[in-house]
Amino acid sequence: MFLPVFIFACVFNYLPMIGIRYAFTNYNGIKEPVFNGFENFQRMFSMVNFWKAFTNTIVISVVKLLLTTAFAVVVSLFLNEIVNLHFKKVVQTIIYLPHFMSWVVTASIFSLILAPTSHGLVNTFLVNVGILGEDQMIYFLGSTKWWRFAYYLINIWKETGWQTVIFMATLSGINTELYEAASIDGAGRWGKMRYITFPAVANTILTVIILNLAKVMNLFESAFVLQNDAVLDTANVLETYIYYQTFNSGSIPNYGYTTAIGLFKSIVGCVLVLVCNQWSKKVRDGRGIV
Amino acid sequence: MKKKKISVFSVVNGLIFILLALIILVPMWKVLVDSFDLQTAYGMKLWPEKLGLAGYESVFSNPTLSRPLIISFVTTICGTLLALALCTMGAYVLIQWDMPGRTFFANFLLFTMIFNGGMIPTYLVLKALHLTNTLLVVILFPALNVYNLVLMRNFFEGIPASLFESAKLDGCSPMQTFIRIVLPMSKAALASIGLMYAVTYWNDYTHYKLYITDSRWYNFQMKLRGMTMGSDLPQAVGSATENTVKNAAIIVVILPFMIAYPFLQKYFVKGVNVGAVKE
Amino acid sequence: MKKKFLSLLLVAAMAVTAVGCGSGSSTSGTDSGAGADAGSNEQAAAPAESAAPAEEASDIEKPDSITIMVDGTVFTQENGQEQFIAKIEELTGISDIKVIQPDHDAYYDVLGQTIASGDWPDVLIASSTYYSAYAAEGVLWDMTDMWEGSDLQARQKAYNADGVVEGMKIDGRLYGMPAARGNGCMTYVKKAWLDAVGMDVPTNFDEYYAMLQAFTTQDPDGDGKNDTYGVSAAGFIGGEAPYINYLAEFYQDAYPSFYQKDDGTWVDGFTEDSMKGAMERLARAYSDGVIDPTTLTNGTSDCRNKFYADEFGVFTYWAGTWATNLKTNLDANGVDSELIALPPLAEVGKYLDRIPPVWCITTKCANPEGVYKYFIETMQDGGETQFAWTYGVEGTHWSTAAETLWEGAENETTYAEGEFHMLPNLEKPETAYTKAHIDPMLALTDLTAYPAGVTENPMDKAVAEEAKNSANVFAENCVSAVLVPSTDVLTQLNGDLTTLKNQLIADVTMGKITVDEAYAQFESDGGADWSKQIVDSLNAQ
Repeated sequence: MFLPVFIFACVFNYLPMIGIRYAFTNYNGIKEPVFNGFENFQRMFSMVNFWKAFTNTIVISVVKLLLTTAFAVVVSLFLNEIVNLHFKKVVQTIIYLPHFMSWVVTASIFSLILAPTSHGLVNTFLVNVGILGEDQMIYFLGSTKWWRFAYYLINIWKETGWQTVIFMATLSGINTELYEAASIDGAGRWGKMRYITFPAVANTILTVIILNLAKVMNLFESAFVLQNDAVLDTANVLETYIYYQTFNSGSIPNYGYTTAIGLFKSIVGCVLVLVCNQWSKKVRDGRGIV
Repeated sequence: MKKKKISVFSVVNGLIFILLALIILVPMWKVLVDSFDLQTAYGMKLWPEKLGLAGYESVFSNPTLSRPLIISFVTTICGTLLALALCTMGAYVLIQWDMPGRTFFANFLLFTMIFNGGMIPTYLVLKALHLTNTLLVVILFPALNVYNLVLMRNFFEGIPASLFESAKLDGCSPMQTFIRIVLPMSKAALASIGLMYAVTYWNDYTHYKLYITDSRWYNFQMKLRGMTMGSDLPQAVGSATENTVKNAAIIVVILPFMIAYPFLQKYFVKGVNVGAVKE
Repeated sequence: MKKKFLSLLLVAAMAVTAVGCGSGSSTSGTDSGAGADAGSNEQAAAPAESAAPAEEASDIEKPDSITIMVDGTVFTQENGQEQFIAKIEELTGISDIKVIQPDHDAYYDVLGQTIASGDWPDVLIASSTYYSAYAAEGVLWDMTDMWEGSDLQARQKAYNADGVVEGMKIDGRLYGMPAARGNGCMTYVKKAWLDAVGMDVPTNFDEYYAMLQAFTTQDPDGDGKNDTYGVSAAGFIGGEAPYINYLAEFYQDAYPSFYQKDDGTWVDGFTEDSMKGAMERLARAYSDGVIDPTTLTNGTSDCRNKFYADEFGVFTYWAGTWATNLKTNLDANGVDSELIALPPLAEVGKYLDRIPPVWCITTKCANPEGVYKYFIETMQDGGETQFAWTYGVEGTHWSTAAETLWEGAENETTYAEGEFHMLPNLEKPETAYTKAHIDPMLALTDLTAYPAGVTENPMDKAVAEEAKNSANVFAENCVSAVLVPSTDVLTQLNGDLTTLKNQLIADVTMGKITVDEAYAQFESDGGADWSKQIVDSLNAQ
């Protein structure tokens, strides 16, 4: 049974990986690659704002991951308590729809909703309830102070519902007998949630988080469409940073260099996954996520 | 007394979800309203100022949309089935805790999720396999997704060990156990992960963009993308501005998922009857 | 390989300052006279000769079969590519033209992959970056000898447009042929708003600024609410060269990136005093509220929507076809759609014309001379082949038959027999085609011979009045943008430098820091140093 999976992995994943050797070459896709040792990596690490972009990526990515997962779990747990099936379906469908909006469209809508003008729904609301003065409107997406907050908010809006899909499926797998037994023991709603439901999803939560850690460095589109010249200090992540570098370089991409960056990102992801997997093994009696 | 308590909770819970759904709907509402509104205004509106279907008419008047739609259905169905097959088989291997080489296999798969060869080598491999410019590339290439495979393994892990033991006692081969016990026990997992694959296939445009240069093989998403994104800007048509057409296209992209999800949700019904599977 | 890059000096830079875009003015000249004498035998006969060049140059063999790689600017399969290519095959005598057309957005990714795979097409379209890089790497065939003294050169000269090709030379050698000018942005003003505030078309910055203020405070849309402002853009500075084109009136003579002075030395315009003036003007406009307060976070489509929704009155956008696009959208939205194509203010001087993409022949092409002669050159033969590249194929893209289009719709139009008109778009049947590959307003050679049944230059019929007008105003008032050569230092540092510059421009404009503080930060964050290093590397070439 493992043969088809093995073949697919070999053909579509491992075969192209011979290309990783380009990371140690100068290769622009025209002439044969020329071995240049660690030059690409040196160039990458010597980029002026490399480490700033690196830490921005880690922080934004991890916080985003934890927030959206936490929201998804909480929403799933309470969705699970809804008795009326039709209502549940409607709510579930509504909250999952934002996932299907492209990031470009999302950015356009939220820059309107968060605008510091009378068009901006959020600012208008804050002014009307008296939290802000008429002239104190906040430029959420245009200020370094608020940008990340807005970014997380938009991500929660967009991805929470989608993530509940997997948690709802997990919850539906819980054996009903457990709840019956708990009821007999006198456990209330909260007791059941805490002692049966939550432990059942804990495994999935851990898996989802660790799996996503592998992709932490890949953050690009959502940050790219929401950032602007004024907030790059806090908003510039590694991928967007590299993008601006290439875009302003006046030359075509050097595949040796881009492969080196890709390799670096993979190694970071790998380290994060391995470390967290080790840690999860301790929590989950010796079994890692795979 | 207990019953009353539940209803108070249910009411509060329900109200919170109504509020949440409304908040989430606000940005979507703007797209929906704008898609029906022939009058483009920049701000948020509760209702269209000048109601009209011209935006949708413009999207559907395109006589070249039916072929991409068929391609989307074909690739999504074939791709999802293939991907689910790979995913469940791989996951089943991963729960064979005593199998020699299991750890190697696990790491072998995990490695593919983290490392990749980059754009050019991938293209060269696909080209050497003569997959470029065929629909096979968009079906086969994304089919093995280790992320989903591991999630599937996670679901399989939740199947009570007693079931496997009784299957063994009944003399079931691993294959028979897989088909008679694992798959029927995992309807919710199959539905949710199948949905994830279906969404990936339906929404795919990156693989089309990079590996297919013959636009006769483009899918629906590729076609509609042009209407909502930069290069192929929609023109004002009759009484609809480019904004109306664009928003109509966005709604058309979302629509299939809005329709499909409620049907899948019946597999997410709370609780699994373990006894039924044992039969 | 990098050394080659270093040695690469794009002559574009030198030719540039001299290259006005005179083609436009001669275009308008032709327009007015075309009706009278276009049908005369004399004009029709001239290109007929060039359409049959086989006799003149018998030593150059006609290619049988070629593969071309094109982006979305050539008809797609859904839009009659098959008929179009068949027509080109018929006209050029090349029996088999195979088209590879990746998705427009992914064109350069696919081009890179294709070149890396070694399976090169005979002909490809390249942007300026890919053009110079591929030329330096030996991917592109040197067509200089074929170009010098060619008929095509003479025709472009006669049309006063040969400067565009001269600007594409690298170290004096030519590796690609532009099919048209690059086009650029110009400023449009809503006429109704100008009338409402009782002002004349501005000619200098003070008048322009007064107009913006009036648009902001005097309720030009007449809805009784103070909800308008003067101008908007997507960001205070553009993301790609020529950077300043969306707010040209504020930048004026300032240029925030590298350019070559008349004496040939490179400088960073950001470090010059003119830039300080530009930032001060932007900051003043922002604090006066005449510039859209959300300019920083606007996308281009947001800007267009706001313009259609009558939120602001002055919009700098693409010249030519877009003038029609803006107009139809304003019309559809029930807003007065008359736009004034503003000639550049006295302080602006000239608008900037982008560097056009070029048609190149690869060095793996078996018969490059033949491909040049029969494919590249015929594209601008002034006759039927150029006509096809400009308007497409009769019966598929255009027609002269008597017919009524869009019956019953708002845009219903009836054409008489013999009246040239573009046909409805096959993919969007509610709209008509506007052009094939070559935009008639941006052509580099005059179209003098037409297919049977067409008696005059179709420009008058096929191109809307406002588009022609804006294209002419632009063409009369533009200079070509400069190709900046790439150096290792520039590749390494320009990303950070540009980010820092853009951030400072945004901060000053939004009043967070003063201009002096910005330049102090430019110094302390290393920008001044990077800038100097890049300038030195450019001058060292």
